[in-house]
Amino acid sequence: MSRIFFIFDEIGGALLFLKEILGGLVRRPCRWKDVVDQTWSVTLQSLPTTAMAGFFVGAIMAVQFTLQLRDFGALGYLGGLATSGTIREIGPLLIAFMLSGKVGAFTSAELGTMKVTEQIDAIRCLGADPFQEIIQPRFLGIIISSSLLLGLGLLMSIGGGMFLGGIFAGVTSEEYLRHIPTILAWPSVVLGFFKCLLFALILATICTYKGYMTIGGARGVGRSVVETAVSTMVAIVVMDWVASFLAEIVFTLVRETL
Amino acid sequence: MKQLRHFFDLVARTLFVLSSTPFRMKEFSRQLYFVANGSLPIVLFCVGFAAIVTILEASFHMKLVIQNDSMVPGFAALLILRELGPVVTALLLTSRVGAGFTAEVGLMKTTEQIDALRMLGIDPVQYLVVPRLIATIVGTFLLALLASMTCLLGAMFVTDIHLGYSPAMFLSSMRVFVDFQDLLLAGLKGAVFGAVIPLVSCHFGFLCEEGAEGVGKATTQSVVVSSVSIIVLDFILSYVFSYV
Repeated sequence: MSRIFFIFDEIGGALLFLKEILGGLVRRPCRWKDVVDQTWSVTLQSLPTTAMAGFFVGAIMAVQFTLQLRDFGALGYLGGLATSGTIREIGPLLIAFMLSGKVGAFTSAELGTMKVTEQIDAIRCLGADPFQEIIQPRFLGIIISSSLLLGLGLLMSIGGGMFLGGIFAGVTSEEYLRHIPTILAWPSVVLGFFKCLLFALILATICTYKGYMTIGGARGVGRSVVETAVSTMVAIVVMDWVASFLAEIVFTLVRETL
Repeated sequence: MKQLRHFFDLVARTLFVLSSTPFRMKEFSRQLYFVANGSLPIVLFCVGFAAIVTILEASFHMKLVIQNDSMVPGFAALLILRELGPVVTALLLTSRVGAGFTAEVGLMKTTEQIDALRMLGIDPVQYLVVPRLIATIVGTFLLALLASMTCLLGAMFVTDIHLGYSPAMFLSSMRVFVDFQDLLLAGLKGAVFGAVIPLVSCHFGFLCEEGAEGVGKATTQSVVVSSVSIIVLDFILSYVFSYV
């Protein structure tokens, strides 16, 4: 029972923290240069891993779809189906998992280290606002760079699917690409990129929250890194469902009104 | 490059020690409890949600291409057994178990407990890595199977509610597509990923630098490297098994 209360406690804490950050952004916005710096460093350090993960996710999906479509002789649809499946669903999910390890764990380790070595208290002592100086730039930087990275990962996944479609299924790249627009309608693309944005927001909130709340030395930093990665993944899976569900409703409504 | 050498050195030593160590039941069951029992609720929870989304998406695509969704259960079951069950489980375990191992071993390294072990004449690989390796392989194997089953069950419920196919229809449609070897493949993938996680995380734990910053950095690296290698290995396994 206490574990359930603990979970609700954490969710509430994270939401209040988010409110604090957003309120702070309105009242005392941080310097734009800090945000750009953060975005640049986060993007740069995660670019290769994300691109690679995206490529392989696309490749995996292409292999799986080939296996299923081959029985029906419908390999022509491979490009459209694999791309659509990857962009709407598997791509954002797996790449966001990846980023929650890379960006989320890194940021919470960094903030946690600052917290346990009392650097955050030092900033407060100097009369500066730690939220404005440290949290806000990271929060914004992570949102911007993660959504960019996720988008890039999705593009890479198309490349991976095309590559594997050529090698494994014998579908040439022209044929692969030609069927993408017939199946991949714009709502799917919107949904995919909306999911990217949503996951980036979750990631930024949880890792700054967990990092800021770290207590207890090196052991505490290790613990908050683990907790960040785990809770981000759970939150991403749940929000993935919520997003898909809402999107279905919204698109049905749009289709009926048109 | 140096890291790679250290990693393969660790793997080789683990394999070498593995054959000659006495099996330490108590430590093994403690680790297995941590890996499998501790991760069970969170894995099943996530996989349940993943099942719902899979069905929704599969039915969307099916309607788009062949204008009917009667084959959704079969396709979804294949996707769940081959990819979703093992990979989602392994990625969750990477962050929970792998990061936990790295933090633990890294702390032992920075507080010089590993040097102390060595001084007592105990091989740290034998003492730390081997029980974790065996426990994670077994734990991930079991969790991957359980996760696939839960995912299928969840998918069954959702098809019943959302698409209106009864569980019986789901099962019979699944029977057409899924063979027994798909289940074996799910378990095998789980076991392979389970071997990757402790090796990578212990490797980064052993290389951990001093202080809180070092522990944080090692944990991050271990999570990243394990998840990338899981995705790459998943691709290789899928590719190889598609020819079987």
